[in-house]
Amino acid sequence: MDLTIKQLQQRLEAQGYICDQDLVITLYLSLKLAKPLLVEGAPGVGKTEVAKALAGALNTELIRLQCYEGLDENRALYEWNYQRQLLKIEIARGSCDPAALEKDLFDVEYLLERPLLKAIRAEKRVVLLIDEIDKTDPEFEAFLFEMLSDFQVSIPELGTLKAKQIPAVVLTSNGERELSDGLKRRCVYLYIDYPTVEKEVRILQVKVPQAQEELVRQVVRAVHFIRSHLNLKKKPSIAETLDWTRALVALHADALTPEILGQTLSLFLKNRDDQETLKREVGLSGLVEQIRGVKDDSSGPAGATCHCGHHQR
Amino acid sequence: MEIDPVTRAVARVEGQGENTLHHNLVRFTHILRHLGIRVSMAEALDAYQALTLVDLTSREQVKAALGAVLVKNASDRQIFNLSFDRFFVPPEEKKRRRMLRKQLEEEERRRLAEAREKLNQALSPWSTEVNFSPEEIQTFARMPAREQRRLTELIRQMHGNPVNSPGHLIARVMQSALNYWRYYLLKTQGEEARRQLEAELTGETEMDDVIAGVAADFYRDPDDQLLHQDMQQVADADLEKFTLALERLSTHLANRLSRRYRKSNRRQKLDMRRTIRRNIAFGGSPLKLCYRSRRRHRPRLLLICDVSASMARYARFVLQFIYGLSSAAQDIESFVFSEDLERVTPYFRRDDGFVPVMTELVNASRQWGKTTDFNVALKTFHRHWRHLLTGDTLVIIVSDTKTVAPQETARELAALRERVREILWLNPVPRKQWPYLPGVNAFLPYVRMFECYSLHHLEAILHRQMLK
Repeated sequence: MDLTIKQLQQRLEAQGYICDQDLVITLYLSLKLAKPLLVEGAPGVGKTEVAKALAGALNTELIRLQCYEGLDENRALYEWNYQRQLLKIEIARGSCDPAALEKDLFDVEYLLERPLLKAIRAEKRVVLLIDEIDKTDPEFEAFLFEMLSDFQVSIPELGTLKAKQIPAVVLTSNGERELSDGLKRRCVYLYIDYPTVEKEVRILQVKVPQAQEELVRQVVRAVHFIRSHLNLKKKPSIAETLDWTRALVALHADALTPEILGQTLSLFLKNRDDQETLKREVGLSGLVEQIRGVKDDSSGPAGATCHCGHHQR
Repeated sequence: MEIDPVTRAVARVEGQGENTLHHNLVRFTHILRHLGIRVSMAEALDAYQALTLVDLTSREQVKAALGAVLVKNASDRQIFNLSFDRFFVPPEEKKRRRMLRKQLEEEERRRLAEAREKLNQALSPWSTEVNFSPEEIQTFARMPAREQRRLTELIRQMHGNPVNSPGHLIARVMQSALNYWRYYLLKTQGEEARRQLEAELTGETEMDDVIAGVAADFYRDPDDQLLHQDMQQVADADLEKFTLALERLSTHLANRLSRRYRKSNRRQKLDMRRTIRRNIAFGGSPLKLCYRSRRRHRPRLLLICDVSASMARYARFVLQFIYGLSSAAQDIESFVFSEDLERVTPYFRRDDGFVPVMTELVNASRQWGKTTDFNVALKTFHRHWRHLLTGDTLVIIVSDTKTVAPQETARELAALRERVREILWLNPVPRKQWPYLPGVNAFLPYVRMFECYSLHHLEAILHRQMLK
């Protein structure tokens, strides 16, 4: 499918994924250059969503490989169905030629496809999400090189399998481990930062349409103020802003008050120390005053600044 | 003049190439490399290909395309953005910059000539045969006017003493004063002065402008300043932010190290014995397979921190690092040393915060602020704590290597090295000063030593060396 940059952006937005030019162009280049896309950014800024939205935009299947420590090629690529092979041996015992039987046993029908092989063998171009690649061991990362640069895998018994359609690959990383230069070189890189006020308002409006506009603006201002003014262990991300807004809608809140902030604090600050920091440094009433006193600043990320002159830190 | 056809052709192609896409892209990648971004040939080719896929008249698209293929981590992103904004500018802006640069160069030349003249004048009554280096002249030019006057006045006062022609001596005095000022300017004005006095540029003016401009802009950002700042220069106002960042780093390291080496369940080899036993119910046919999994042991972490007087300047870093690492992972053994060695592990076994733990530790310890004798400290370690060492032990030493008897210490260190997996040495002294530290040369054969005086260093070491 040959899409222009504009068409791709429109399709992503139709999937409910609000994105800026940088992201669309990077995604576009990754598709055009047939290179995997490596997405980095703080947890909850929408890295995994990129792959989901892309699959939706391309109207294709999303195949996900969730990475974890100790993940090996058996679980990522393929495995022989040993049980079935053994049953076949039992059934065929004495009734056929052993050499022919052995040849049969290592046939595609005894192959258990894992996500990578599934993506390679798919008839239609799929989106392959390799989520949290930084959680795997470096050996697994090296194993991915062949797959990511040549879109082929080697199975000793069957030979090399080339991709029928080159999949659109999205790798995500939380930066827990520095990825190798080899992997980075093979990828197009995208860093997703916290969004601007205006962008986050748009995201909330799309994802939580039930929330009133004024509430949405207050939530976004509050979150931006917290991100930019407090030294926290874990800054609230978009995922947390969404959860918080949904909770506020469920509580029928139409504006932020110190009481409602207190009740819903744990939805956007998921660390006790961070909650204490907010209460100590700004206070719940202080935060409400801050967000009522500011104007939206969409020029940059985390741009909520108090202009009222009463709330100097 | 006769010009051969090859030279003419090359000149023509070069002339045409000045403003081509290739030429600009190559120069831009060259700038990025000079600013520390690793751009390989393959990436440069990707960049060229990416440019053919976007609208070249759209600045935004070109920037996004180059950013996507040339930059591969978040911290380089900012450098890329600044470089792009400074490199790809309209011709009028380029012309304006050229004029500005010429003015600045002229100004600088005049200032240096003036400084040289003043220095020579001050020494003119004597035949000193001392030629001031460009560095010394530059230092003199950067000194405050009042201090310049004071220095030349001091030298002038020596005119009255013609005994034994003290010209050479006076010139040396002058050079020492300039050396002191150079050191002082570097210390007090930090990175900014360092860059001005020790700029590493390409030699091509237009590219150097971009590089210098990006470096200046980059270090203007308070967060980056903090990240790259020498730890001894962290202002009190930034201390909280610094502490938090350091805490995050050490906790991250501790978590990673302890998590990474848990027993892995990966399938390795078929365990025949267990497989047969498990399949007795199926008449011996191995329908359910059992695997042997390789057990991986966590490395035993051992932290040895220098808390002697010479390390006082780095106290903030050392304290935070010991606390962060030791309290985040319960099984890290921690030691402090100066004249001797003390085990401080028990202080971190409680759940107290940074201030109570460190107050108690500093009060109870007899090592803080003493002279350093790492040799004795290591001997004590071998005598009492040798049993903690295994082939799996990873030793992290934080010290400036300034100890008495470095050669004897090196022998002890060699003995330690034989019993452990690896020794990582975090040295807060800048690498440039290492050649003057006898300890560094003596210890290097046994340890992997890293320059570590800023958060940026620490982060890079953690990521590239310890967590690899």
